[in-house]
Amino acid sequence: MKNSETKTFIKRKFTEYYKKYASTIPPPTSIEKREFGFLFEQEKIMFRHKSFRNVDDLREFLKARVPSDVYYSGAYYEKPEEEMEEKVWLGADLIFDIDADHIPTPCNKIHDKWTCNNCGFVGKGATPEKCPSCGEARFGEKTWPCEVCIESAKRETMKLVEVLMDDLGFPVEKISVSFSGHRGYHLHVESDEVLALDPMARKEIVDYIEGIGLEPEFHGLEKISGPKLDDLGWRGRIARGTYDFLLKATPEKLEEVGLQKRIINAIETHKGRLTQSWKERGPWGIIGIKGSTKIAQLSAQSESVKIDTVVTTDIHRLIRLTNTLHGKTGLKKTEVPLTMLEHFDPFKSAIAFRQGAITVLVSEAPQLRLEDETYGPYKEQKIELPAAVAMLILCKGAAKVVE
Amino acid sequence: MTEVEGRPVFTERDMAKYPFISKAAEYMKPLDIDINELSSSDYDKILERAENRIKEAILYNLVNKEWSNDAVEISSFPIAVMIVAAADDSFLKRRYALAEAKRVSDLLKDERDEIIMGIAERFNWKIRPARIHVGSLTYDFALHFTDFLKNATFIQDKKWKLVNRLVSNGEVYLTKSETSRLLEEEVRRYVEGKLDTKVGLLPQSITDRVDRLKHLFMEKRGKIRFEEFPKGLVIAAFPPCIKKSYDTIASGHGLSHIGRFALTSFLISIGMSVENVVDLFRSLSDFDERMTRYQVEHIAGGRGSRTKYIPPRCDTLRTHGVCPGMNEVCKRIRHPLAYYRRKLRTIRTEAPGERA
Repeated sequence: MKNSETKTFIKRKFTEYYKKYASTIPPPTSIEKREFGFLFEQEKIMFRHKSFRNVDDLREFLKARVPSDVYYSGAYYEKPEEEMEEKVWLGADLIFDIDADHIPTPCNKIHDKWTCNNCGFVGKGATPEKCPSCGEARFGEKTWPCEVCIESAKRETMKLVEVLMDDLGFPVEKISVSFSGHRGYHLHVESDEVLALDPMARKEIVDYIEGIGLEPEFHGLEKISGPKLDDLGWRGRIARGTYDFLLKATPEKLEEVGLQKRIINAIETHKGRLTQSWKERGPWGIIGIKGSTKIAQLSAQSESVKIDTVVTTDIHRLIRLTNTLHGKTGLKKTEVPLTMLEHFDPFKSAIAFRQGAITVLVSEAPQLRLEDETYGPYKEQKIELPAAVAMLILCKGAAKVVE
Repeated sequence: MTEVEGRPVFTERDMAKYPFISKAAEYMKPLDIDINELSSSDYDKILERAENRIKEAILYNLVNKEWSNDAVEISSFPIAVMIVAAADDSFLKRRYALAEAKRVSDLLKDERDEIIMGIAERFNWKIRPARIHVGSLTYDFALHFTDFLKNATFIQDKKWKLVNRLVSNGEVYLTKSETSRLLEEEVRRYVEGKLDTKVGLLPQSITDRVDRLKHLFMEKRGKIRFEEFPKGLVIAAFPPCIKKSYDTIASGHGLSHIGRFALTSFLISIGMSVENVVDLFRSLSDFDERMTRYQVEHIAGGRGSRTKYIPPRCDTLRTHGVCPGMNEVCKRIRHPLAYYRRKLRTIRTEAPGERA
């Protein structure tokens, strides 16, 4: 928990940031039609239903009030300051949130810690559904941005961009991607065609991207033939996923996915023929329709993009504003040009506090990297750290400032 | 149909088939026609056909595709719309709009591509002819996916889910009959929109027909009334998603936001009081009475917009991970409340004593 001196210190640093950099905050399209929302360090609930006529008013507000987090609506309203029912919804951008929390990652979130609110049991890694000690399901969580997590989120984002461009046909200039400031990426599509889409239509887009409800029979899977590697849309994705699956699958894996012994044997005996078969009708006839359907469905799962489904279907959603600070990290939400996405490094580009050093008393923190240096892990340690590193640990509530 | 500078110009015959297109659309403002003229015998045929359109919709759920006189056929449509609008019964409106839409999609199935394109463009669809072969399928048109979604989300069939379509470069590939089916949805909503027009004072000869048709509809509708849920919860009739959420909350565990919403709106819909729903959440360790009451009252329609919310549909719950998997009854329904209604019926016939 942050003590009051730490809170005051963080607020002072945030004040410095907005004084210096508020001018870099880009105005959202039609800023006067957007709703804004803010969190302040002292208050629990969001201060929302706010609007600004222009970006200067917004920047002045940030300098004067210094919120810990700044959000704006993906939606456009006639009267953004009114209560929800009176706002008059005019349309909304299409928004995606790719967060490490929704992706199984190779690091297994070992850097995260959870505490059972009931019995105080502490564990590491992803938060379980129920406390292994008392069976309760309410936890306090301390999550950290980690390289592996954020890299996984980036891979998902790149897959998403591909679906949005190749399948849904959005041109590059209508898509913008940002690092969220914590553990993931936000993607916005601003295009006239999507504005009026209702939650049902947006849900269909989510299902398309996640492959929910996909049935291989609608993608050309028949008794002796099926989708081809260079087919368009999900057809091609199913074929390519199946290709990879068959190439890597061991008999154990095949059994694990519930294939019949007979089919597993067929796949094992005809491995070479299966790979060759893609030049003609594909492996479908050799495996048989039942096995093919199962494998195609699994392949679709591995080709699907893991997004936060609620964010995309919610047409009133508030999203963090670009170049504002994330209250839990002190990093800033940073826009990434699509061409730079692959090599984007948030631990370099999203740093907000570049100057000076701060002495802190760290209670506990995992190893962290900023720029090219690694720091920690720390436990009950007083140490002088570069401002960005110290701010991250302070914002996480894992350290106190030492005067 | 003739082509002028690449744009289709519809013949009178086409307009008789599709009375909402281009020039015929002008007829669609029924109030612009001098209503008092309609009672003269010149218009008897038109009135007769208009009444028959509605009668057929009421009795057979369709509108006859046969007609003798194009001019009569064209004018009979806006008059029929005016009569249904005047009857001012939402069930009748829905039924009539659907019947007219079905008539259109039936006709479209046998039309040339140009006519289908012309109708689609009338509704501002971004569509182009695209005869391509993929596997064993042949597609005829490519439609922008947003135009597809605006209509396909009303059709409850796996094949109409976007994820089960061939989608490339922003377009969904469709066969001619699929395109006709999608246009049916567009026409249905278009006619429904027209039926919401306020109708002024009508001459006696027409109000007689309105009353006659209303009477016919009441008779036909007979016992088809919305069934009220009985008092008291029948937990055994809960669908798996609600049962799971209910058990989770009852044992003091947390639920996702959408899970809470689904549970609360479900319980309110089947008649549980706000008080009892609030009590259910009381065992949660972070229970906040004021906040919970506010939210439950909001869902029950007691605050703000005064909208009473119903639970999301099955596929929405699936998207957000609330559905724990379907059982046999689930396969036959698309909404948690439909599950409850259906299950109640079987429980009541099988074991009348099983109440919670």
